[in-house]
Amino acid sequence: MDKWTILEPVRLYASNATGLRTRTIAKPDLTTYIGRLPRDIHLLVLTYLPLYQIPAYARGNRALSRLALDEKLWENRWFNLFTGREELWKALDQLETWVNEKEAKARAAAPPTLVLDTEDEFGDFASVPIVSARLEEVEDFSGFSNVLSATPASTASSQSQFRNRFMKMHALLKTLLPNLNLAPHLILSNMFSSTTSLRHQSQILHILLLYISPSVQPFRNWQSLLNSLKTAIDRFEAGLLTAFEAADAGKDDERMKEAAWSSWELWNDIQFGSEWEIARVWIEKQEIFYETGRWDSLKNFTKEESLDFGAMDEFITRLIQVIKSQGPIVARVFPSIAYVLLMFAERIATEVIAEYISPLLAKARQISTQVFLKATAASFAQSLKVVDVLIEIAHESVSRLNIEDVIYRMFEENMDDYLDEEIESVKTELDLICKDWERKVGWIHLLNHSRVRTAERTARFLDSKNPALLKRNVLTSFTNVLLLPVTIVPRTVGAFVTTGSNVAVNGIAMLNPQRWGAQTANGYSSNLISESHDYFLDSQDQDDEVVKETRPASLAESMTSSTLTNNSMDSSSINTSFDSFELLLSLDVVLELIHADREALKRVETFQNYPGHYGQKVRETIEELFILLLQALSERHISPGFSQATEQMHTYRPAEHEETTSVAPLLQFFELVHIGDTIQSMIQVYFDKEMAPHIDRTDFLNNVVREKKRFENSLDDAVAAGLNAGTEVLMNQVEHIILTRTGAREYYPQEGAILELGPTRGCREAITCLEKHCKLMRGSTSKDVLEVFYHEVGIRLHAIIQKHIKRQIISLEGGFQVIADLNAYHTFVTTLKIPQLSTDFSNLKMLGHVFIVSDAKDLAQIVRDVARYGGSFRPEDIYEFIQRRSDWKKIEKTVDKTIATRNVTPGPSLVYMMLLPPNGTYI
Amino acid sequence: MVILATSDNEQFNVDKEVAERSVLIKNMLEGENPIALAVAFVYMKLNGSFIRHEDVGESDQSIPLPNITSPVLKKVLEYCEHHRGEPLPSGDTDNADDVRKRTTDISEWDQKFITVDQEMLFEIILAANYLDIKPLLDVGCKTVANMIKGKTPEEIRKLFNIVNDFTPEEEAQIKKENEWAEDR
Repeated sequence: MDKWTILEPVRLYASNATGLRTRTIAKPDLTTYIGRLPRDIHLLVLTYLPLYQIPAYARGNRALSRLALDEKLWENRWFNLFTGREELWKALDQLETWVNEKEAKARAAAPPTLVLDTEDEFGDFASVPIVSARLEEVEDFSGFSNVLSATPASTASSQSQFRNRFMKMHALLKTLLPNLNLAPHLILSNMFSSTTSLRHQSQILHILLLYISPSVQPFRNWQSLLNSLKTAIDRFEAGLLTAFEAADAGKDDERMKEAAWSSWELWNDIQFGSEWEIARVWIEKQEIFYETGRWDSLKNFTKEESLDFGAMDEFITRLIQVIKSQGPIVARVFPSIAYVLLMFAERIATEVIAEYISPLLAKARQISTQVFLKATAASFAQSLKVVDVLIEIAHESVSRLNIEDVIYRMFEENMDDYLDEEIESVKTELDLICKDWERKVGWIHLLNHSRVRTAERTARFLDSKNPALLKRNVLTSFTNVLLLPVTIVPRTVGAFVTTGSNVAVNGIAMLNPQRWGAQTANGYSSNLISESHDYFLDSQDQDDEVVKETRPASLAESMTSSTLTNNSMDSSSINTSFDSFELLLSLDVVLELIHADREALKRVETFQNYPGHYGQKVRETIEELFILLLQALSERHISPGFSQATEQMHTYRPAEHEETTSVAPLLQFFELVHIGDTIQSMIQVYFDKEMAPHIDRTDFLNNVVREKKRFENSLDDAVAAGLNAGTEVLMNQVEHIILTRTGAREYYPQEGAILELGPTRGCREAITCLEKHCKLMRGSTSKDVLEVFYHEVGIRLHAIIQKHIKRQIISLEGGFQVIADLNAYHTFVTTLKIPQLSTDFSNLKMLGHVFIVSDAKDLAQIVRDVARYGGSFRPEDIYEFIQRRSDWKKIEKTVDKTIATRNVTPGPSLVYMMLLPPNGTYI
Repeated sequence: MVILATSDNEQFNVDKEVAERSVLIKNMLEGENPIALAVAFVYMKLNGSFIRHEDVGESDQSIPLPNITSPVLKKVLEYCEHHRGEPLPSGDTDNADDVRKRTTDISEWDQKFITVDQEMLFEIILAANYLDIKPLLDVGCKTVANMIKGKTPEEIRKLFNIVNDFTPEEEAQIKKENEWAEDR
């Protein structure tokens, strides 16, 4: 047997195997058959062959013996066992020294009187040192751990490295085997001396466990060996548990750690996935799980059934304190890969926090939906605090995601309810605001119906010198208010703090231009102060309550003067509140709606990082909330408002009204358009600030983006429809003015009367009226809408003027009057900057000339000269106009004749005509 | 449908999904992929079963499998049919993870399926190897390994149909060389 040492299998049978790795792809070796199967398949078979069968296999023939030595195969077997468990190599080295020592002792004890159950050959035992000795020659002593550096790539140099390693390990482990055949309670004590550390014991057991496995099958009786090994390991674990508990009681971190790590070594492989016993025991011993009685979550309600989370603060602080004291122990004692911290956190979440929260929410639900919603968001925000502490303790060992997940999962059961409830509540709240508004509208409308029409109105936007600036101011303040923090967790800390949301309400309320006169000083200063976190607000309701506190005047003024100098409103008129069109659309209501929505949105945002299914739901809810707001705004507020305004304009009769230069409903409508525009801008701001982070704004398929587009479209439509009606009204008014204000002989003055070559009164007033209204529209709607509006106005004006002229009788002197009027109209139209209209009106201007040509023949010439009127008028049209001449009866025949002959030479009158400036004005 | 033709000129109509359990056939049917095609060609050429280019990817023409007989193919298809829809092992199957997962266990159905005479077993293994159906090849090899278990060298020789070409000295040496793993 001693001669074994001589054998150098590697050199004799140098393996030229290319191994398994390239098997699947075509290669010449495929055709190398051994017996009936290709070589590669033999290799594959060999990977499944039990270790103990290999000697018999190798003796099959030369080819098979070469296969049995195939280094790739051994390498695979080796890594099969140890990949991911490299630290075990070191343990093997240790085992080697240990076995050698034992051997030395055994030999010293000499005559083999060892009482060992020798199912193994007795001789094997004696051969072990020889085997090891031989191996020492092949590799150096620390061979196992060297593998760490010697990557498989370098194995070519030492061709049978892995096989040798396997041999060595086999020999080493075999020395331990006899112990496994002992009675279970003796195995451990026999296998290890009392001095062996627990850690080492566990590692050796681990190696054995890996080795005596179905994939290696080193011995014929491996199954029974495995069974007794498992019982031994169970006992070992039990022993560790006791050791651990003892160490825990003695606060001996080091020993706890050793026991824990040793236990984990084995636990991880045998019962992967099930809860680790030692950790469970440790966690269960934590006091925190037994003090649930100490915490009464109902203390979070004040006597008035509102929320005050002071109690929960205390509770969470205690939790954090516990985690902070126990967490580091977890990190010290348990291997980080065991995720004990996570287990601990999970237990805390489900058994402490969840237990605390559920009665809280149940109670909140009983009180009211609002309270429930607030309590849910608040308790979640509170629970999330634990995460930060845990992360701090865990360092890198546990990912943030996993820890957050603990709380998220704990809270999941409440999520369905909460999200549904949130949407429902926003729905009802928005509905309520709208209804409230509708009720007010109905009521005041009824009451003031007659008065409203004639009442002195203050058109806020229109009155101010610069509506754009005013609007900008409103938006700036609105944005500021949006940036105010919403406090999710309600608290009462003395009288000096109220909830952030309340501040927002007040802040937003202050935005309303209606109140600027009366209350701005207060509103803005409170805003300012609230931002500096040192505010005091009484429980001011947002409706007309006067705030009594006096603010430091300078502060208030500095704020207000900058924003409000342009606002020319007087406060008394504001307090008379509802004007007719503010009955239809109110910034106030919009603010209320946005605020209600925002509050809900902020609450849901607490949950925005939720992962997985519920994360999806949370995001959907956020979108839903915004969509609800838009729908409420456009369907319940804007559309009815605008349609009512349009309705009112339809019923407007110019004849019934004294004042002529302004059309009341139209003015109001324009005001409405301004408000609509402001609302849209506010929505845009709200969208930018609050929604944009949650959605992809460029995604045109996104529901929110689509809904917003729809909202804008419906607003545009409403404006367009209103404008349509408005144009009608305006032009009726203009016609009315022209009709009523034109004197009987305006264009047929008494012979010799002094001609004042200026536009007639009717013309002047009509133009004033038009100018006023056209100017109002600027800056409130899109350019396109405006252009359409102007165009419409122009065309209709054109028609009205023609109609008007055809109604008159015009003398030669009066002709100059006509020209003067036409010039005035033209000047007005050019200010609209619509090219088409300008040409139309300059053509119309040319028409005036037909009334000042005295010679009938020349007149006929003009009638036929189509090019003169740029194609706007046909000769027939002109003919119609000249019929309005006072001298028509006299010249009719001549004109007709001349037109018929078509043979006209320019006469002196025409030369006179040429002298007239073609485009210039007379006046 | 894919038509497979065996060496004894029998044709099998097989669902594409079933036929594609064979990586070889799968690569051929995905003829647009030049690499897969090239691999398939080289493979076929090496195995003496070159297929003309026109045949590849045209499912209405049969794919000749010149070294598989109809009883074997029938058996192989039975396996493919039973395992259809299961995920195919990834292309590079020789990584460490995969090796570790490899156990000697054979599922019940496979066990029953592979209980055939020795002749058939080897034929199935060869066919699985040729068609590149890795799971089937594994089942076959495991079965062979189980058959070897407990056999003497002489019995093993018989199983593989090989002769003892050792000199007595050599055999003795081999015996010694592997003695460490022996367990009697």
